[in-house]
Amino acid sequence: MDGWNFIRLVHALRQVSLSISSQDILDAQICLARFPDLSAKQITKSIFVHRPQDAAIFETVWRILLQNPESSTSNDSDDETKNPEENPDSSGIGGKGVGRGSGGVSLTVKGNNLDSSNISNLMPFARLEELTGSELGFEDVVKKVLAEMDYYSWINSYDLAYQRGNLSEETWYAHQDRRDSLNREIRQRVMTAQVSKENSWEPLVRQHWLFKSLNTLTEKEKELVKSSIRKWARKLAFRPGSRWKTSHRGIIDISRVIQESVQWDGLLFHLSYRQKMPRASELVVLCDVSNSMAAFVEFLIYLVTCLRARFRKIRLFFFIDSVWDVSEFVCDDDLSGVKQEIKSTGDKVSSGFSDYGEVFRELAENRLNDVSSRATLVILGDGKNNYRPAQTEYLAQISEKVRNVYWLNPLEIQEWNERDNMMHEYQKYCSKVYRCRSASDLQKIVQDVF
Amino acid sequence: MTSPMDLAKVLEEEGYLIDKEAATTLFLALALEKPCLIEGPAGVGKTQLALALARAEKRKLIRLQCYEGLDLSKALYDWNYAKQLLRLQLSKTEDWDEVKVDLFSEEFLLSRPLLESILSEEPVLLLIDELDKSDEEFESFLLELLAEFQVSIPELGTISSKTKPVVILTSNNTRDFSDALRRRCIHIYLTYPSLEREISILRSQAPELSEQLAKEVCEFVARVRKLPLQKLPSVSETLDFARALQALHKEDLNYSELMGTLSVLLKYPKDIAKLEERLKKWEAESSQRR
Repeated sequence: MDGWNFIRLVHALRQVSLSISSQDILDAQICLARFPDLSAKQITKSIFVHRPQDAAIFETVWRILLQNPESSTSNDSDDETKNPEENPDSSGIGGKGVGRGSGGVSLTVKGNNLDSSNISNLMPFARLEELTGSELGFEDVVKKVLAEMDYYSWINSYDLAYQRGNLSEETWYAHQDRRDSLNREIRQRVMTAQVSKENSWEPLVRQHWLFKSLNTLTEKEKELVKSSIRKWARKLAFRPGSRWKTSHRGIIDISRVIQESVQWDGLLFHLSYRQKMPRASELVVLCDVSNSMAAFVEFLIYLVTCLRARFRKIRLFFFIDSVWDVSEFVCDDDLSGVKQEIKSTGDKVSSGFSDYGEVFRELAENRLNDVSSRATLVILGDGKNNYRPAQTEYLAQISEKVRNVYWLNPLEIQEWNERDNMMHEYQKYCSKVYRCRSASDLQKIVQDVF
Repeated sequence: MTSPMDLAKVLEEEGYLIDKEAATTLFLALALEKPCLIEGPAGVGKTQLALALARAEKRKLIRLQCYEGLDLSKALYDWNYAKQLLRLQLSKTEDWDEVKVDLFSEEFLLSRPLLESILSEEPVLLLIDELDKSDEEFESFLLELLAEFQVSIPELGTISSKTKPVVILTSNNTRDFSDALRRRCIHIYLTYPSLEREISILRSQAPELSEQLAKEVCEFVARVRKLPLQKLPSVSETLDFARALQALHKEDLNYSELMGTLSVLLKYPKDIAKLEERLKKWEAESSQRR
């Protein structure tokens, strides 16, 4: 591996949020010099990848940088890994004009013979470039490419066959593997096209689990976010408040020990201890669980569950156009019941369209009586009120009753000013308003709010 | 060992089959004298890899099993208070300044695994097992040991290692580690072996199994691992399952005869019920094929 490619690789990996220290660079250089027989990719991967989830990012960067002919033509004339099959001009089985009108090959015809080598011929790079050139986002481009390949008909036919019992489980699993590998391959190719088009690593950063929108995460990425939430919550658990309280454990409370010993003529019979009190005494969480919000609710509840030790009392309310109390979920580590609850109760008690004004009225009139004035209220909602009255006076009333009101909104800030969005009205009564769209937003909120 | 292939070969001689990628990463960690952090689900052979490496490299194995609440007095060192008291009783006539210095000398130091690995004269492999179960403070404390192979004891100062130990850390991913710890280690992620590799593992660990049974058991376990279970069967459970079938004098694996043996493979009643349900379907499928 020559020095130029090495520098490009390090630079690219750093751009896509892999932390590579100078020591890592030194180690990699030592190994590359000492073991010329070993593959450069294997060496750099071993040294630069410190987390399991970074392995996939490394693979993508390596592929774009050192295996992809499109992006390297301008820079590397001596790229040894150049693959002639990936040339956009090649007229393989998936060349332009074959199969469906826009250039792809129908999977319903080719699907059964699909393997990783002919996946690359299914969609010409030129078509990918054309699609990435449009205004569509990454996920939309992927969906469009898959649709052009007839992917959805292909998987539906297998799903139906499996449901009817016409497909053995073995064939079904083999199909699932093919489906995953095709999906992965298409995502990689779209990513390559986007990086090439934008001439920056920004598209890859946007697909990093930390910066990706919470409602587009894969199951694996969801697990990563949850694991990070656990880590952040754990750190917070070590950050107690400044006030002390008598306790059965903790550090010895000298003044109290002396005070008590006076009763027994200076003799000590037992020690008293004290501990720092949690920072906030009560947390009230209000979550909009209408369809568009479901993916975000899951993570906020998970965060609250992880933080439960820090609060004397946590109350959790779900709402759509009316409020219902679901505080029992905070004590349950397994959140599988949450989705069920949203579906079953949500269908019963609401019309399905959010009504913030009505919810704030109900909260102020019926639910706030037994909430402490030192409580913190966290609202998770997009602020879309479906053109119903804002009834801001009730939020003002709530804001006066509790110590802080924080609003977490999963929409982009520019969307807060859309016509049916009441954020501009409500945010006047909040202590602070945050965008809460990705894991990285959530991390910032954890540090600021809790 | 001059190459990853050499390393894989000596590990195989010790009964551990490692794939090429993991062998290369481990080889580089040994070459750079850096700690190696092995992550992966329970039962994929993380600890076994460390044990096999200790045998292959003829290093004394020192193992520190981590748990919640593990602290320095159990992991690094403690003072021998009883011995210190005895020393004090004997020293009534001596000068206090002299006794004071004497009381915190190496003679009264109780070495725990970490200190033992630093002080050892002979080559050592230090296995810090299931680090994810320990607290974050303990993780931070390890940084000095992992980076410099030294520890600091306030009463004695800094103690550096006599022979650089090979350090292997394992984790089941129940929590994430800090960047600082990860940066100091070379990372290996082990996952369940491929079908061919698992058959080879079974053949090498249990040569008494027939080729047919080993193959069928591994194929069956590979199928089971695709089910949405709470805990997927580990390699050691595959081995136990195969041995259980062997003990029942089974020559091959028949779905209809597996009831009662599944608890060797799966550990949660819910998982067993799920698999029993699935077995009926698989049995029907295989009889259709016949």
